[in-house]
Amino acid sequence: MSDTKTSPIPFAFVAEFENATELYHAAEHVRDEGFKRWDVHTPYPVHGMDHAMGLGKSWLSALVLAGGTTGFLTALFLQFFTQISLYPTIVQGKPANLSTIPAFFPVLFELTILFSAFSVLFGLLIVIMLPRWNHPLFNSELFKKFSDDGFILVIESRNRKFDVEGTRAFLEKIGAKRIEAVEEDPV
Amino acid sequence: MSQTVTNAEHNVHPSDQEGIAREPLVLNNRSMSWITNRICGIVENRQPLIWWILFVPSVLLAGVLGFTLVYLVSTGVGIWGNNQPVAWGWAIVNFVFWIGIGHAGTLISAILFLTRQKWRTSVNRASEAMTLFAVVCAGIYPGFHVGRFWMVWFLAPVPNANAIWQNFKSPLLWDVFAVSTYFTVSVIFWYIGLIPDLATMRDRAVTKVRKFLYGLFALGWRGGNRQWRHYEMGYLLLAALSTPLVLSVHSVVSFDFATSIVPGWHTTIFPPYFVAGAVFGGFAMVLTLMLPVRKLYGLEDMITPKHIDNMAKIILLTGTIVGYAYIMELFISYYGANKFEKDAFHLRILSGHYTWAYFCMFFCNVISPQIFWFAKMRKNLWVVFIIANFVNAGMWFERFVIIPTSVSMDFLPGQWGFYSPSIVEKWMFLGTFGLFLSLFLLFLRFLPVIAISEVKGVLPESDPHHHDWEEIKARRNAAHRG
Amino acid sequence: MANLFPRWTNELPLKAVVCVAALGGIVSGLVAYTATPKYTRVGYMPEQPIPFDHSLHAQQLGMDCRYCHSFVEQSSHSNLPADQVCWNCHGPGKVKPDSPKLQALREAMDESSEDYTGRPVAWVQIHETPDYAYFNHSAHVNRGVSCVECHGQVNEMKVVYHAKPLSMSFCLDCHRNSEKVLRPLDQITNLDWKAEDVDKDAFYAYLADKTGKGVEDLKKADSHKTFDRLLIGGHLKEAWNVHPPQDCTACHR
Repeated sequence: MSDTKTSPIPFAFVAEFENATELYHAAEHVRDEGFKRWDVHTPYPVHGMDHAMGLGKSWLSALVLAGGTTGFLTALFLQFFTQISLYPTIVQGKPANLSTIPAFFPVLFELTILFSAFSVLFGLLIVIMLPRWNHPLFNSELFKKFSDDGFILVIESRNRKFDVEGTRAFLEKIGAKRIEAVEEDPV
Repeated sequence: MSQTVTNAEHNVHPSDQEGIAREPLVLNNRSMSWITNRICGIVENRQPLIWWILFVPSVLLAGVLGFTLVYLVSTGVGIWGNNQPVAWGWAIVNFVFWIGIGHAGTLISAILFLTRQKWRTSVNRASEAMTLFAVVCAGIYPGFHVGRFWMVWFLAPVPNANAIWQNFKSPLLWDVFAVSTYFTVSVIFWYIGLIPDLATMRDRAVTKVRKFLYGLFALGWRGGNRQWRHYEMGYLLLAALSTPLVLSVHSVVSFDFATSIVPGWHTTIFPPYFVAGAVFGGFAMVLTLMLPVRKLYGLEDMITPKHIDNMAKIILLTGTIVGYAYIMELFISYYGANKFEKDAFHLRILSGHYTWAYFCMFFCNVISPQIFWFAKMRKNLWVVFIIANFVNAGMWFERFVIIPTSVSMDFLPGQWGFYSPSIVEKWMFLGTFGLFLSLFLLFLRFLPVIAISEVKGVLPESDPHHHDWEEIKARRNAAHRG
Repeated sequence: MANLFPRWTNELPLKAVVCVAALGGIVSGLVAYTATPKYTRVGYMPEQPIPFDHSLHAQQLGMDCRYCHSFVEQSSHSNLPADQVCWNCHGPGKVKPDSPKLQALREAMDESSEDYTGRPVAWVQIHETPDYAYFNHSAHVNRGVSCVECHGQVNEMKVVYHAKPLSMSFCLDCHRNSEKVLRPLDQITNLDWKAEDVDKDAFYAYLADKTGKGVEDLKKADSHKTFDRLLIGGHLKEAWNVHPPQDCTACHR
């Protein structure tokens, strides 16, 4: 079947740009063209790229707020339940009731931070969908440059606007230095 | 495209204005691939001979630590020199010493990140690693000081058949929470920072083992902006969380002393004084490690004289804060009405067993860093290295002065005693240095010592408008000529 | 370069999370069950040198606990009987003197026997208080805590075993809620005692004597309550002014 096709549909086009400025402007063009499944891959986070790509603010902070609140409540419960209802230790003349709360501040603080930090780690991994060790893009030799000094733009074929000839021409028009078509792994 | 250019023309980029141009953070206009090659090269090439010369004795010393710990557990804490009245000897001195050293890493990562001090990028990775290793060394002491090491799980609030719960009103319990939280958060911070660099290592790896291991830990990082934007938010959040954390940890450590009633410990100045001291000692240790590393691996273009200058200034500042605290302690003991406090400080500086230690501390921590008022001295790497080591020693003496001198002679003459460490304690302390150095050398061997992606981000050409401005400048120059 | 990691690795994290969660649940469940005295101590039933049958002696013959464990009311330690106590009944010409089960006793006591060694019977200790915990039997049995609360229904045991966990939380549970276990002093060694057996009138008369309140007032105050263990225990706790210590130094001296 595929032999008869003149141009098989690849997984994506990987295009390299000269520098951050070129990539930034290219991203603006791709955004304006109305593509949905595309991304730029850079060695470091490019300042302002969210705007160029038309992306909003990350909502990871909301997850972390939830995590921190959980930590705070956990510490509150842990301390009040164990120190006041389960096992009140009367030492150093310090009471075991609601007015003990100043002595509970350090642990309240530490657990809030601890749970928040865990929610950053796990929230981040969930939001950016890692770990994902296998990805079609890893088949591309050109793509690998992103972790060194490559400024890479990837447009996936799963875009309504995607067509093999037109998108390649579009990428060339917005200044891509090199373009490579990436195939998916054979299943 | 032209739209953006005209917009940018209205905003004058700081680097365009003459006179306020900042010193570049990476010297000699190094390119991104040069940075990648240089940093990854450390891991990919064979280690220099000096690495092995340092590594072998370090591992042997770490082995001595293991031996002393086995001896300790099998025999009991009686093999240490501490006993009533000085129940807290070198074990706690060294714990506080190492924990203090462990403060620079997160400080550099978090506080300098929040205050947008971009020079942090060249040193944050190594100092975070140093933090972790220092906290590992620190954690050994309280863990084994409990005597019955196999009961150490009693420190954690776990439901148990004894129906015992920890005393949450005790500063020692706060310490457990503070130190373990600090270690965990530091590991998370360090690892999240490492992910993009591990991806770089993965993409450069040649052998199958390296490809697998770096690939495994890079988690399949693809550096897409849809990942970076969350990543940056996560990093910012962690920095914002770690900043109060790093300040809290040494405050809580100081509560171990300050909430007791022992004269010499019972002071409200302790938390800020301990935090300043920790930053002070931490930066000294960063310099002690990074100056040789920089030379050895040819990182002079990334860890520039400016970085060293900045760190020397921080040492000067925090050293002066610590000096203020020392003098204020003395002043309060003179000015206050507490006879025991007065006696404690009289013994500490004039006629006690450990007066010599007090003056060692004062010289190393307060006098010696004052040389950094001179820019020339901050530029001289030998001077910086020697002063940093004075500070390392001075900070150890500070903890020694605070801990045994205060309890060796407190309220009742009947409770007075003298403390000197046993041979086991001395070897154990040396052993923690061995452990610390071996871990650090392994870190140099296997992980990128400088945060590659972050250093790339502070290059001038990393700014997405850099080339626009270059264009504008060229056009302007042409107009002038015309 | 092709992908180093095959496609199935993409599902690995999710699977790993599920497995680790399940494994963590199983392990903590197992530890919580097996690593406590409820599991490690309860049911300990060593073989004794003489297969002494408590159910026979204490239940069928109706002997009091204190006939053998004679110092329990005076001493912190509840003694095992001296061999002479056994010999009182099982001596020559008395109850089953030639039983093969009593071999160890004859070795200890019967000077005329060829097996005589004079070594006391080596009973195996079942209930053991750790060295770091102080426990006083007399303090408990003289204040309304029956043997059965810690040792279980020994009167029904053919072979004695460790019936209760005797962990620290077991101790604390009673020290915090002692009304659950207190009973009239004359019923301490009656292991089958039940609240229903108590003579109401005698009980209230005792309380009135102890507290100085009127019998009728006491009865009236309780008229809407059921006359059960908790009520009896609560009254006794108040009458005897029982305040079990809960601080560390109560037991760890």
